[in-house]
Amino acid sequence: MPKLSLMFENKIMKEVPVGSRPITIGRSPDNDLPVDNLAVSNHHAKVYFEAGRMVIEDLDSLNGTFVNDLRVERATLHDGDNIHIGKHKIKVDTGGDAPVPWDSGRKTAAPRIDETMVLDTKERRQMLQQAAAMGESMQFASARMKVPTLVVLGGQTDQKEYVLTNKLTVIGKSAMATVRLKGWFKPQMAAQINQRDDGYYLGPGDKVPNINGTPISGPVRLNDGDLVEVSGVRLNFIFRE
Amino acid sequence: MGVRVRIASGGVSDVGRVRTNNEDCYKIVERLNLFVLSDGMGGEVHGEIASAMAVETVVKHCLDAETNPAAQVIGAVQPYWSARTKHLATAVHLANRTIFKAAEKNPDHRGMGATLTAAWIDGAKLSIAHVGDSRAYLLRSGSLLQLTRDHSLVAEQVRRGILTAAEAEESTMQSVLLRALGAQAAIEVDAEEHTLFPRDVLLLCSDGLTRMVTEPEIAGTLQAETDPTRAAEKLVALANERGGPDNITALTVRLEKDSKGWFSWLRRGTHKNLGSNGSAGGN
Repeated sequence: MPKLSLMFENKIMKEVPVGSRPITIGRSPDNDLPVDNLAVSNHHAKVYFEAGRMVIEDLDSLNGTFVNDLRVERATLHDGDNIHIGKHKIKVDTGGDAPVPWDSGRKTAAPRIDETMVLDTKERRQMLQQAAAMGESMQFASARMKVPTLVVLGGQTDQKEYVLTNKLTVIGKSAMATVRLKGWFKPQMAAQINQRDDGYYLGPGDKVPNINGTPISGPVRLNDGDLVEVSGVRLNFIFRE
Repeated sequence: MGVRVRIASGGVSDVGRVRTNNEDCYKIVERLNLFVLSDGMGGEVHGEIASAMAVETVVKHCLDAETNPAAQVIGAVQPYWSARTKHLATAVHLANRTIFKAAEKNPDHRGMGATLTAAWIDGAKLSIAHVGDSRAYLLRSGSLLQLTRDHSLVAEQVRRGILTAAEAEESTMQSVLLRALGAQAAIEVDAEEHTLFPRDVLLLCSDGLTRMVTEPEIAGTLQAETDPTRAAEKLVALANERGGPDNITALTVRLEKDSKGWFSWLRRGTHKNLGSNGSAGGN
């Protein structure tokens, strides 16, 4: 089934099937494919089928619609095309057997709940059981106990190895830092590692750290084995079993 | 240890653009560096009553605990927690009991409940306690981190990998909470401790903000506006610009290194390129 995939940093954020009805793209939540970014107009563009071809049409958006880096008012889309709207990329799939996304039928099925409510224990258990059943295959396979650890490969620190037990870890000269740097002219807070729901993220402090030789431009998720360099210290991020 | 910080804070609570009453409530107790925020629920005026009750109970217990080190501790506690963290978690348990009892006594009040997010700063130690979907964020060197986990159905679904973050934002079930004050006689309270650093910014906010304003926008606003009250006002204004469907409350707390001269102010205003200067001066 033809579909559009909203991408962010090479991850699929959302997919919508393109059928007989036009798909609207924009910042406002009433769009079929809402893109939450200030550079995107409320109703930015629409995608629909015309004479068997997938077509995109810009809806007089402020910042324009781009297909493969060319600004378009209206254009035929081909398999593999990239649409750029604001800072977001939308991948075009004109065929194939993509499954209809899980949420497509939900919008009409679930009543709109505006008032905040608390589930009582019975309802809550049922909903969570249902949720757990669906999530199980993806979630619990990798849930083995793994301990995030920083191993010092070079530079002066107060320990040779650090197990990241806290949600917030600071690398710096500060007496309150977890990884304490020694020596002259070291920053109080050189960099930080923060635990988020989906992993450990390296972020800048007073310095911009390198991951595997490349400076980061914002918080970056650490992978097993990554090499972190900051303020003359080299650290190996690993998950200990 | 040796690092002296100055704490500046400010908050705003706004009814929004759609509702006629404000069920959010917050309180700043400067003397204790205690910050409490609650979002009430329940028909008519009951949400307002519940959130006010929650904030009042928490503040009162913390004030009591300050002068009475032997104050009772209830609920599950971690042995390594500081006395303040234990008192703060206890205060949230007490708030739950208070609301639950009030609802029990008066059949009109059934369904009354509230979220609660509280932060207590003692030197470099931050204690956080919370129930519900009002959040605490920490902005540190430009990175924004959510310290609390929403006790909502969609947040749980995202954690379990059933929904993506983008799908969660779309979900019609966003208002369904798994935990709130007043729903049951006893509840679980999330509490934790963190170490704070100079220039850290803490934000407590209700879901009226986080549903309308993205995290990058929150981070940008907190970095651009250094006055805590004005930062809170800007965040609230942003949520209102997007329609303000719910009550909006934002409370910001900034930790500044105690300045030793006029030019430390200049340094603080500078960004990335000169960032290392800020740490060259010893403490």
